Amino acid sequence: MEILVCLKQVPDDSVEIRLKPGTEEVNLDGVANVVNAFDTYALEMAARLKEAVGGSVTAVTVGPEGAKDAVKTCLAVGANQGYLISDPAFEGADTLGRSKILAAAIKRLETEAGKPFDLIFCGREATDRATGQLGPQLAETLGVGVITDLVDIEQTAGGICAKQETEEGYRRVEAATPCVVTVNKPAYDPRYPTIKNKMAARKMPIPVLSAAELGQVDPGQPGVHVVKVYEPAKRQAGVKIKEETCADSAIKAVGMMAEAKLL
Amino acid sequence: MAYLISEEAQELLGAVKDFCEKEVKEQCKEYDRTGEWPKEIYDKAIEMQLHMLEVPEEYGGMGLSRVDVAALFEEMAKADAGFATTISASGLGTKPVLIAGSEELKKRACQIIVDGGFGAFCLTEPGAGSDASAGKTVAVKDGDSYVLNGRKCFITNGGVASFYCVTAMTDKSAGVKGISMFFVEAGTPGLSTGHEEDKMGIRTSNTCDVVFEDCRIPASNLIGAEGKGFSIAMKTLDQARTWMGCIATGIAQRAMEEAIAYTKERVQFGKPVLKNQALQFKVADMAIKIETARQMVAHSLTRMDQGLTYSKESAIAKCYASDIAMEVASEAIQMFGGYGYSREYPVEKLLRDAKIFQIFEGTNEVQRIVVANNTIGRF
Repeated sequence: MEILVCLKQVPDDSVEIRLKPGTEEVNLDGVANVVNAFDTYALEMAARLKEAVGGSVTAVTVGPEGAKDAVKTCLAVGANQGYLISDPAFEGADTLGRSKILAAAIKRLETEAGKPFDLIFCGREATDRATGQLGPQLAETLGVGVITDLVDIEQTAGGICAKQETEEGYRRVEAATPCVVTVNKPAYDPRYPTIKNKMAARKMPIPVLSAAELGQVDPGQPGVHVVKVYEPAKRQAGVKIKEETCADSAIKAVGMMAEAKLL
Repeated sequence: MAYLISEEAQELLGAVKDFCEKEVKEQCKEYDRTGEWPKEIYDKAIEMQLHMLEVPEEYGGMGLSRVDVAALFEEMAKADAGFATTISASGLGTKPVLIAGSEELKKRACQIIVDGGFGAFCLTEPGAGSDASAGKTVAVKDGDSYVLNGRKCFITNGGVASFYCVTAMTDKSAGVKGISMFFVEAGTPGLSTGHEEDKMGIRTSNTCDVVFEDCRIPASNLIGAEGKGFSIAMKTLDQARTWMGCIATGIAQRAMEEAIAYTKERVQFGKPVLKNQALQFKVADMAIKIETARQMVAHSLTRMDQGLTYSKESAIAKCYASDIAMEVASEAIQMFGGYGYSREYPVEKLLRDAKIFQIFEGTNEVQRIVVANNTIGRF
């Protein structure tokens, strides 16, 4: 099975990120870049599927030169090869623009390899902007189906069977390949790189695909305009109601809401 | 200030730190309490290949410089010194073979490690601690075999090792020149493990007696030549003890980091206690000691990498790093105040972990003998 995993380099989501005081600029000074957590889940799921049924995993990202590190990280934990798609013309592209760029890159890689990708994995969303749009938009651009929020996957005779997480529970969804899947947190954690794989990944070439190499791809003007950037309001300390019985607490709560003219 | 390491090792350091933070640091608190050997943590470490950092490249290892490896070991030691000791003890157990073993033995020992096994070094006996020449374990040649009898004690990895490098007397009349070194694989009939120590610290490492009762091994398992065992053992310890300095430095670094983090948050008299110069000076003294210890470790390892002598430097590194690890851990407890004495907080464990580094692989008194001899010379 030929698998492509789309990934994004994002600021480390384990540290608290603030705006620069008095501005709408996000302060990323001293914040390390990491691979988006959901993309690491996607890569692990893809690597496990590859190990079960054979084939190869290709990792690809759109970003500046520094995003090569993200690809390199993936080469140490299951990806067989990786590409960076980078061009000044792609800067500022929104998710729809990125999906067009990725679609063009996918076509280019498929032509080069002489065979199509059976599956395209994405994380369900990126931890920086959390739009969750790229996977479905990429599927639409490629003209293939999409299953979102996977927590498990297996190969079937004509395609795949996926375990999809919904707000109510889980759903089994079958799809023909090729298709796009987006991945939520599965039951397992991404593997750690072995020391040798990490050292080998360092030495592997990561080809860069520019706009010219993708043909005339036009990410278009961003369809989304940012109106304002602000930090979430600090929540005020709440009121703790702890009467002797639950009924007393409820009566007191209703009384307080009535007093505040909320009821 | 950290070790000056290659870009490659910097990347590895990030991965090892991530592993230790998520899989070792917190988990070891419970194992410290129970004294259980945390097999699942070691299995994960083996999967990541942290157990084979010291294996030479030609025998399937990584080919990293010793200082690069030291940076990774320090990170493991910061998470848990017992964990780092277990991993490092395999290196200790392999060294006699690498120093003097046949090509075949070198390949065999390294392959066992690469495949996920542990090694152990068996020198100490109930009556032979600092006086390693007083060992009573004997090896008698019998045709194409040697037959070993005796009891070793305080053997790190004793109960979990796949192979042991063992000193035994082959000629009782010759003193230290009658000691030989043997390679014994786990599972050999006559080899068993005995009393397991219930230790004060490094409780995630296994320490026990290793017993030989008519334990027959092939004559080809003799490491080097008969009578060379003591010399091989001393060379082994010369190399290995710098690594103990490295782990001790890691304990001290962790103690300082914990003390800084706590005293930045702990408010007394309306301000964080670290605003007091009395505590800032304690941190300065910690940093001076830790950095000096670390650079001594690096210096000794660089000399090893460059093929220079390192006996004195290795002894200084081990002795100094373990002495300051005790001082820094003790001061960290002081900076935590009453909470530092509580097992709920992380620093009391560091003091318990640090103590053994002044004792094993040659007590710090023995280290001072080594340093004195190397400094004064014969007169």
